[in-house]
Amino acid sequence: MRRFEYHRAETLEHASRLLNELGDDSFLFAGGTDLLVEIRERLRRVRNVVDIKHIPGLSDITYDETRGLTFGALVTVGRLERLPLVGARYPNLRAALASLGSIQVRNRATVVGNICRASPSADTIPPLIADGAFVHIYSRTNMRVIPLSEFFTGPGKSVLARGEIVTGITVPPATENNGKAYLKHGRRKAMELSTVGVAVSLTMEDGVCNDIRIALGAVGATVLRAQQAERMLRGTALDAATVKDASAKAMEECTPISNVRASADYRRDMIGVLTGRAIKQALEAFA
Amino acid sequence: MNMTTPIEKRDFKIVGKSVRRDDVLEKVTGEAQYTGDIKLPGMLHGKIKRAAIAHARIKAIDVSKALAYPGVKAVLTHENVPRVLHYGSPHPRSASCTKDQYILDDKVRFWGEGIAAVAAISEEIADEALDLIEVEYEALPAVFEPEDAAQPGAPLIHDVGPGGNLVLDPVRVNRGDVEAGFAEADFVLEGTFAGGRPHPAYMEPNVCIADWDGSNKLTFWTSTQTSFMVRGILAEVLGLPLTKVRVLVDHMGGGFGAKQDLFQHEFLCALLAKETRRPVKMEFTRHETFVAGRSRHPCRIWLKQGFKNDGTLVARDMKLVYDSGAYGSHGPGVTIVGTTAATSLYRCENVRLEGRCVYTNTPINGAFRGYGVVQSYYALDIQMDEAAERLGMDPAELKLKNVVRAGDIAPSGHPIIGHGLEICLKHGIDVLDWKTLRGRDRTPDPKRPHIRKGWGIGCEMHGSSAYPGIKEQGNATVKINEDGTVTLLTGAAGLGTGAHTALAQIVAEELGVRFEDVGVIHGDTDVVPWDIGAFASHTTYLVGTAAKMAAGKVRAAVLERAAMKLQVSPAEVDLSEGKVFVIAEPDRAMTVSEAMGPSRGIPAANIVANGTYEPTKSYSFAAHFTEVDVDIETGIVEVKRVVPVHDVGRVIHPIAAQGQIEGGIQQGIGHTLTEDYVIDKKTGRSLNAGLVDYKMPLSMDMPDIETIILEAAPDPGGPWGAKGVGEDPIIAIGPSIANAIHDAIGIRFHHYPITPEDVLKALREKGA
Repeated sequence: MRRFEYHRAETLEHASRLLNELGDDSFLFAGGTDLLVEIRERLRRVRNVVDIKHIPGLSDITYDETRGLTFGALVTVGRLERLPLVGARYPNLRAALASLGSIQVRNRATVVGNICRASPSADTIPPLIADGAFVHIYSRTNMRVIPLSEFFTGPGKSVLARGEIVTGITVPPATENNGKAYLKHGRRKAMELSTVGVAVSLTMEDGVCNDIRIALGAVGATVLRAQQAERMLRGTALDAATVKDASAKAMEECTPISNVRASADYRRDMIGVLTGRAIKQALEAFA
Repeated sequence: MNMTTPIEKRDFKIVGKSVRRDDVLEKVTGEAQYTGDIKLPGMLHGKIKRAAIAHARIKAIDVSKALAYPGVKAVLTHENVPRVLHYGSPHPRSASCTKDQYILDDKVRFWGEGIAAVAAISEEIADEALDLIEVEYEALPAVFEPEDAAQPGAPLIHDVGPGGNLVLDPVRVNRGDVEAGFAEADFVLEGTFAGGRPHPAYMEPNVCIADWDGSNKLTFWTSTQTSFMVRGILAEVLGLPLTKVRVLVDHMGGGFGAKQDLFQHEFLCALLAKETRRPVKMEFTRHETFVAGRSRHPCRIWLKQGFKNDGTLVARDMKLVYDSGAYGSHGPGVTIVGTTAATSLYRCENVRLEGRCVYTNTPINGAFRGYGVVQSYYALDIQMDEAAERLGMDPAELKLKNVVRAGDIAPSGHPIIGHGLEICLKHGIDVLDWKTLRGRDRTPDPKRPHIRKGWGIGCEMHGSSAYPGIKEQGNATVKINEDGTVTLLTGAAGLGTGAHTALAQIVAEELGVRFEDVGVIHGDTDVVPWDIGAFASHTTYLVGTAAKMAAGKVRAAVLERAAMKLQVSPAEVDLSEGKVFVIAEPDRAMTVSEAMGPSRGIPAANIVANGTYEPTKSYSFAAHFTEVDVDIETGIVEVKRVVPVHDVGRVIHPIAAQGQIEGGIQQGIGHTLTEDYVIDKKTGRSLNAGLVDYKMPLSMDMPDIETIILEAAPDPGGPWGAKGVGEDPIIAIGPSIANAIHDAIGIRFHHYPITPEDVLKALREKGA
């Protein structure tokens, strides 16, 4: 493993200043489950790590019926996974959390870390995008809140400028008429990066779908919304024939690559299968 | 687990019982010392610079910057290490047959090959110094597929050996008259089969520590299955007598056969320690266990067989090509064993086999559980299933008709002992009520309409011991102490299989003492008797018999001494559960401790005995019955249930035997469905040299396994009829899965791994 300098930040301001002063090859460190592996495997050149685990106020989880669920940057995947509220209101997110790494990894990794790594195959991103989540970004001069769907700019890349820090995520409240699902396609059942992931979040009113968001993981440079498929589904009863056509449309909308995990064609095929299955599973909430 | 014992009823005290392994507590508490845990004062850390090109000549290598880097103590390249040509495998002229390796060479033969080594005061500094070594290559044309390497005019990887990129001359086996057999056949099946490159991915990466003392003696800790072989080749290459090389191995985190080679890092570690006069540790990263470790030989098999309409097999013609990677390693052994194995399993009098092994510019393939047979029996068993389909017969019935029986000539050239395979098949058929399974309602479950279910059978047989390739020898020394406790000295390595526990059980049983009273000393070549190594499913069979022989001699000496003390003749006493008694008057007795200890006027005795055993070979058998779910929309195959029925002769430790079977099945499921070490066919670069993208099944992926062990065909060569169990379970599971997939969706796959993409593509081609 290559050597690096360790810095412990006491406040957000301190962390932000360190990132600015230390320059390139400096990274925030929370769970470390990805960063340390990347250093060890020489996938990322790291000169400095800035530990944010001791900054107060980043471990909170709150929920209310108007603003929804908000969790801080230090909230671990395992903690959120075990929260009954998440299982009840955000079953798509719950499924994604439960499918990430192993129990040991989940007890260490943070959800915000999974998001900021900006991998197109990150499990937690599709359900959060499907649910319309927002990202809270700290900077010493310009704090901002942006939709998660606008956060990513490419594989491993986001809109964060140097010195900016994601402090938390807010997911809008879930309502009675929501149906949600996340399906992950991998080569095995645990300790797996998704070959394809599909998250669905939909709203039914009197048997008609008045809103649906479909987020596709690992089939593009960032997690994608299948917006044309969504348009085909809104205002319908989500009958089998329409779902089939929309799934085919989602296949057209994605832009997968081929690698050692799967070919582009197979990934596209799986988008078709999993989109249909995810919608079906989301509808089981009303069964 | 079920066990049935139709053989000799004997009141065993210790054998056949799942006694508690004495290494369990230290392992679960983390106290067990593995090689990587050892730290010596002043110890340096070694790292290897690896080539980023598949085939090249090194024009220049400049280490000046690395040597000047603070903390670096030594750098070795091909320019300053001894240029000694050596065998990759420690079994010269059997597993290896050509010396084709240098410690470091001026030629690179595969992407990831070591080209230089650094020793530094920390692992980090050594690692950083690697980047400062500047190498200038002259690229050479490379070949990555055995088909290409075997073409006339293909770039030659070695200038030793038979030429044409062959690792050894083709292995040819002819029995009977194949042409006459085909002329007699009612129909002929012909097919090609292909196996991927599964990797053993043992938990403990390769690691060694070298330390030279003031008398120029090398002490060498290493994670190896073959410590005496390491000693021998190190001494040979370093020009030392065996008294000056001591090899130590204690606990190991697995090996699965692959830790039998002499690895480049082992030589380099010894040389770096010599150069710096300080201890040096070298430990592979997970990445290195792939690129610099050993995997299973990828293979291409062409198989043509002739059948009569009654299912009789009348001709078998088979050509096998194994991909050795860049060096010979176990290529010859694997080719010989894998090819000759195809004389058997299913009876056929007319057989023509040709096995080849070819160099390619890819990482080295070596010994791995199932040693060439995984590949050849995958083809044989699947084609037998196809023949059943063609005949409209139940595959169980056809396999039962054709499996080898007692007296048939085994691949070793000896008659097979017992109807083991027939009994395994019959037992599984009965337990599962196979006919009902075959004739079951196949309508998909309306709740899961995309799932198709299938059942398949795979058969295998595998030898305990590497005979006749290696004339094997097992050794054991047993001594009894004055308090009645017993020490077994063995050179057999403990890979984590529980072999030492089984050996201690054998000694305790034969001697007549408690299991707890037997201690095992192992893993020090200066102390324990010479050992050939832990491989070929032979430790219990071979070393177990040697230990039993030695224990028997000690028992006789104890009886003699006790008889003297009891003032009777040795024939009048017996020994059981740590007590010597006069047979006619059981109350006249003394403990072994009283017999051995000093008493008035008589000092304690030094009783030591050796056992040496040179066996031929026994065969173990298994039939695996496997159920799969195939998702026809995603192509995902899930193994749901496996009923493995094994005959392993006398079972010494039932839980350990069961563990071997379950572990082999887990590995075999991986090989058949998800595991493949992928080499880029354009550059020779490794595409998934790590556990992120090399996917072994985990506990959650495991099916229900209902192990059945039959003690149906004990072999007189093993202790109380015991045979090997280590390799068997990985062989039968593969074809059983492929056959189950066919049963589910009507598609034959002739390769592994069978990926979801393959399944989906085949389903579409079929128009399902």
